[in-house]
Amino acid sequence: MKKKVLSLLMATAMVVSMVACGNTEGSGAAGTTDNNSTAATEDAGASTDDVKITILNSKVEVQTQFEEMAEAYKESTGVEVEVYCADTDTTVASQLSTRYASNDPYTIAMVDPKDVYSLAADYATDLSNEEWVSHTNLAITVDGKVAGFPTCVEARGIIYNADAIESITGETFNPTDYATLDSFTALLDRLVAGGMEKPVAILSEYWSLGAHYAAEIYEQQADPDAFVNGLLAGSEDMASNAKFNSMMDTFDTLIKYNYAKGSAANADREESSMKLAEGEVAFMFGGNWDWSVLNQYDYTENMGIMPVPQNMEDGMNTKLCGGGSKYFIVDSTDNTSEAQRQAAKDFLNWIVFEADGNAFLTEQCLLVPAFDNIDASALDPLSSSVKAYADGNNLIANYNYLPDDHMTVVGQELMQKYLDEKMTRDELAQAMVDYFKGATPIAH
Amino acid sequence: MKTNTLGYKVRQYLLFAGVSTFIFLSVVIIPFIYGIYLTFTSWDGVSKEKPFVGLENFILAFNDTAYWQSLGRTFIYAFIAVILINTLAFILAFMVTSKIKGQNFFRAGFFIPNLIGGIVLGYVWKFVFNKAFVAVGEAINSPLLSSSWLSTEIGSMACLIIVSVWQYAGYMMLIYVAGFMSVSEDVIEAAKIDGCTGSQSIIHISVPLMTSSFVQCLFLSITRCFMVYDVNFSLTNGNPYGTSVLAAMQVYNEAFINKNYGKGQAEALILFVICAIIGGLQVWAGKKGEVEA
Repeated sequence: MKKKVLSLLMATAMVVSMVACGNTEGSGAAGTTDNNSTAATEDAGASTDDVKITILNSKVEVQTQFEEMAEAYKESTGVEVEVYCADTDTTVASQLSTRYASNDPYTIAMVDPKDVYSLAADYATDLSNEEWVSHTNLAITVDGKVAGFPTCVEARGIIYNADAIESITGETFNPTDYATLDSFTALLDRLVAGGMEKPVAILSEYWSLGAHYAAEIYEQQADPDAFVNGLLAGSEDMASNAKFNSMMDTFDTLIKYNYAKGSAANADREESSMKLAEGEVAFMFGGNWDWSVLNQYDYTENMGIMPVPQNMEDGMNTKLCGGGSKYFIVDSTDNTSEAQRQAAKDFLNWIVFEADGNAFLTEQCLLVPAFDNIDASALDPLSSSVKAYADGNNLIANYNYLPDDHMTVVGQELMQKYLDEKMTRDELAQAMVDYFKGATPIAH
Repeated sequence: MKTNTLGYKVRQYLLFAGVSTFIFLSVVIIPFIYGIYLTFTSWDGVSKEKPFVGLENFILAFNDTAYWQSLGRTFIYAFIAVILINTLAFILAFMVTSKIKGQNFFRAGFFIPNLIGGIVLGYVWKFVFNKAFVAVGEAINSPLLSSSWLSTEIGSMACLIIVSVWQYAGYMMLIYVAGFMSVSEDVIEAAKIDGCTGSQSIIHISVPLMTSSFVQCLFLSITRCFMVYDVNFSLTNGNPYGTSVLAAMQVYNEAFINKNYGKGQAEALILFVICAIIGGLQVWAGKKGEVEA
């Protein structure tokens, strides 16, 4: 009998300990709901004390800056900000869906433009009446409501290392002199003759090839939406399209001078960035986000972004492609209290209208602001280029309605194969046309 | 106390297995059933609405050539990897049980790769294939090594197989070691007295007596190879041009990058059924071949 009692006791102890362990999570969740309800009751008094908001930061390179900002923000306003860093192994949308499914969404989530469209109806608060709306033309409006707050402007083109070029040519490098492919090729030949055997790097990542380079083919059309819809309907052709051929002429030139020629589909992003930063190559297709990689190496400040050179005379070779790239959405579900929502709106206003908020955006995070009232003079070289093009109204808008699998199919399966010279241009054009015929359009 | 009443049995069951049953149900069975439900919807992964579409996802999945190609690739990969893993593991196990010097050191050494996570392993080997192999190739002027294997279609599959073999051979070796140890010395000695040579005693005595080790190792290596994602992600990420996308990665991309959650889930279910059939058949066939000492 004694034995039985003992075993019973032990079993109970084990069960209790398991339940207790399981409970930590449960009580945590209960704690947050408690918080919410207290916040909700306090809402009547419109007090912002003890309000806690959560932010998902999907620009992982500025996570430290966000965390420091959260502390300073708590001190000056009393609102507690908890910053979560997005997981880079998976998409932001999939991480958000997990939080929505567990009824514990982020108060503010930083998402890609595409996500704003898919999330707006169910999850985004209407921000139309906010004061900052009149200071930007990059906010995303879905079904008549402003849903996305543009966190920053990003643009892509050819990144150049002016020091590397000037040390060979002996002249000051002025990117506007090389807007046409002919002049650009002549410069490349000069660099080769001067001892830089392969002056170009091309990233092999499918997002770079698909969502950044190939995307320009659609974005630079006279009417991108009509062109893509035509492709989806099977009525547009690629091989005879002037823009496609113009962009691919340039791509062929880049391939010819690519340092990784031969194993181009496997070029390593770190290695390519290092070569550009240190002047082993002079050009790399990319965008101002690449600065966070470039500045890890022995870099020069004398860099910038120039438009993709093209012979086609439609004025597009004087513009960068880009626009708002990361957007804040404020959660609209019942899991977020009114007080939290108000605190979230206050936070967005703080970024746009307060000196500290401006400094956080442009000086700490070094992001290009999307608002005309924010002065930004402390940006990195690439962002300065982007700002100059943005201020001169020389940005070609992003096209946000490419089918979801465009990146993996056109980017990886097609463009990467073309980059590796295992596919002719006609085959590429045909494969792209075929892809679009079977693709699922994005409703917009 | 009466011990054969229903109430007593239920109480006893709940007391000893209640918690684990609850956990098993909540983290395995319910998500599994919910996953099956999702295959009948055209959910995109985030929206609140999950429109019911019947069997459409399965029809789409059966017509998805990219999926079947990736599955075909997985079959080839798994077939070669399973054979190499088990051959190597068996040889290693034989060597570390044949009373060589420092056998414990070797056992630990061969097992260590299995302790490194697949993601890290992939990045480490990526460096080896991209840099170390190429540097060696250039030094000895070998055309086979002078460009990275990861940049060719066959090469990247070969790299995946090499890394998987390296990762799992040590683990399977441990199971085979246990198998070798379980073969009684008496039987081996009796065979020796009857004039059995070393290799004969392995083939006719040890191997039949350790069939259960083979069943376990084959089962583990087959299922792991079919489900592999981590090494695939960090080593090749589908490059070059999507020719090294294995089934699990294809399913993941379909569900989360292409945002066809229902279709991805349907493809995952098909993959699961295929795995279950192959694994089940193999265990059934293996069990039939087991012998008692």
